[in-house]
Amino acid sequence: MTAKPATGIPSLLKTAFVNALIALVLFSLMVGIRTEAGSDGQLTYVTRFGELASLVAIVFGGSIVIELLRQWIGPTGTEKLVPPAIQSGMSFVGRYLAPALLIFTLLVPVIFYDQRYILDLGILVLTYVMLGWGLNVVVGLAGLLDLGYVAFYAVGAYSYALLATNFGWSFWVCLPLAGILAAFWGVLLGFPVLRLRGDYLAIVTLAFGEIIRLVIINWQELTGGPNGVTGIPRPSFFGIPLDNSDDGLAARLGIEYSATHRIVFLFYVILALALLTNWVTIRLRRLPIGRAWEALREDEVACRALGINTTTTKLTAFATGAMFGGFAGAFFATRQGFISPESFTFQESALVLAIVVLGGMGSQLGVALAALTMIGGFELFRGLETYRMLVFGMAMVLIMIWRPRGLIGHRAPTVYLTKAQAISSDLVKEGHG
Amino acid sequence: MTSATPLLAIRALHAAYGKIEALKGVDVEINAGEIVALIGANGAGKSTLMMTIFGKPRARAGQILYEGRDITDVPTHAIAHLRIAQSPEGRRIFPRMSVAENLQMGADATGCTDAEREATLQRVFTLFPRLKERYAQRGGTLSGGEQQMLAIGRALMSRPRLLLLDEPSLGLAPLIARQIFDAIRTLNRQDGLTVLIVEQNANHALKLAHRGYVMVNGLITLAGTGAELLQRPEIRAAYLEGGRHG
Repeated sequence: MTAKPATGIPSLLKTAFVNALIALVLFSLMVGIRTEAGSDGQLTYVTRFGELASLVAIVFGGSIVIELLRQWIGPTGTEKLVPPAIQSGMSFVGRYLAPALLIFTLLVPVIFYDQRYILDLGILVLTYVMLGWGLNVVVGLAGLLDLGYVAFYAVGAYSYALLATNFGWSFWVCLPLAGILAAFWGVLLGFPVLRLRGDYLAIVTLAFGEIIRLVIINWQELTGGPNGVTGIPRPSFFGIPLDNSDDGLAARLGIEYSATHRIVFLFYVILALALLTNWVTIRLRRLPIGRAWEALREDEVACRALGINTTTTKLTAFATGAMFGGFAGAFFATRQGFISPESFTFQESALVLAIVVLGGMGSQLGVALAALTMIGGFELFRGLETYRMLVFGMAMVLIMIWRPRGLIGHRAPTVYLTKAQAISSDLVKEGHG
Repeated sequence: MTSATPLLAIRALHAAYGKIEALKGVDVEINAGEIVALIGANGAGKSTLMMTIFGKPRARAGQILYEGRDITDVPTHAIAHLRIAQSPEGRRIFPRMSVAENLQMGADATGCTDAEREATLQRVFTLFPRLKERYAQRGGTLSGGEQQMLAIGRALMSRPRLLLLDEPSLGLAPLIARQIFDAIRTLNRQDGLTVLIVEQNANHALKLAHRGYVMVNGLITLAGTGAELLQRPEIRAAYLEGGRHG
């Protein structure tokens, strides 16, 4: 356990004083003096000591408040002793949270059938859950920092859009193709970056994401350039269109047509796709390849010494992650009916990465919760307009201070003894061993 | 002592990091069933030799023969499939993975049957009962000695014929270090495992080993049986009395 930092009023005041001093130095020129062009064009300046003093005072007071909050919540990096009752309650919640969330998600279209806005939001959240789970394979499991994940999302979306508009292929034929094409691009990205790690890898993947976007913008004959692709067919219910026509699903079932049918259908499609991603990831983690991904994240040299081919391990991680990104992209295209390069900017990559990191790298439930919080939060704080990003930045900073390993940082092991073990992993938490 | 073909024969091996030559023509032979110790000061090239056997860094010149077959250019990951295992310097266990998963990683790449894996696992538990107690715990939460046991156990899971150990006693309490050395001796006597051990703790290593090599500045300067080397005055002066490591 780390030593508890010195507490008490003197140290509190000292911290606050130092912070105030830094603020004074910083703001004295930035705020304290304002330069203006005088009447003859010469430089004049006005001093604003009042504003400067109030800013320094805010910093002083603010750092006292933050310190108090910190001591109240507990220093970072230590495990607080939680009363057993709360602990068992939390483990109860932990065990039933995921199934409860799943059941609730399944029921969302039933409960909110009349609220189109909620359904659309649900689809959006699920798209990001899926993207988060896909990127989680690359970043969370294999530990390869990928800042260009949106490239695979774009490849998937354009694959479906172009195949459907040019050849009239149906969504269900194009979906696997979009995944395969995205996986192919994943391998293509994988090869040059095999020897890179950390920051360097991040830079190259970032560039890759931009390259794909720029190619899409500039290859006008194929992609339509900045105008995007319009008239992308909507998905059909296994060949039966979900529209108002005579052979539409509603007419065949003999019920009255409603536009909501398609939304509900889309909701369940993305839910199924997301659950597929989750299921595959959970399965893979129990297989040697998934274990090799995680070992690669931990120590590449040791992996090689244990006979793991790090080249193929990295490439499969890139390909698997990219494939799920491609699926999500194809879904995005069919839902929107229109795609353009604007949808595939770096901001999307950053958002998905933030979801994975905030969720706790490697935790499936954490990623889902983070996607819900981020995307739902964006909508919730829509009223704040320009301050929205500020609120989000602050929320992310706070989460990283108090939960540096993400919302759910716990990692469940995948190998067990065949017979029951006397010591469970919960009992032998860090430092008690 | 010299049988027809040694299990591992290193001939005039050169290796370098950029322009810095770390191995300048090393000759080492390890016969099946032997424990061979490689001792020397910091920077003598002991660990480099260990890593060059695994192809990282690649040998500039010379040969590495395993069971008479040239493995100098075999890719690193493929060498583990030849039933050579390594417990690398600094242990390099997977800290966020459980002890169970760490051990499983050792068996994953080499492709053994479930029964073989289970038998090896039980053997590792007999040697290091602590690992069984810590089975579900995260590797990073183990003590240094337990991590070393895990690193050796993980290497054993690939059911090697030749085990390379790089500084297994580094940073361990004397009592734990002795446990590790005892386990290595047991493995050698009972399982017939061939061991190459790199150590700064010359006293321990030479007592354990059948034969030893002394390395200075990328060259082998002395070779002999463990007992012989322990008696040599220059060894005693350089590695035992003056520069004794706990």
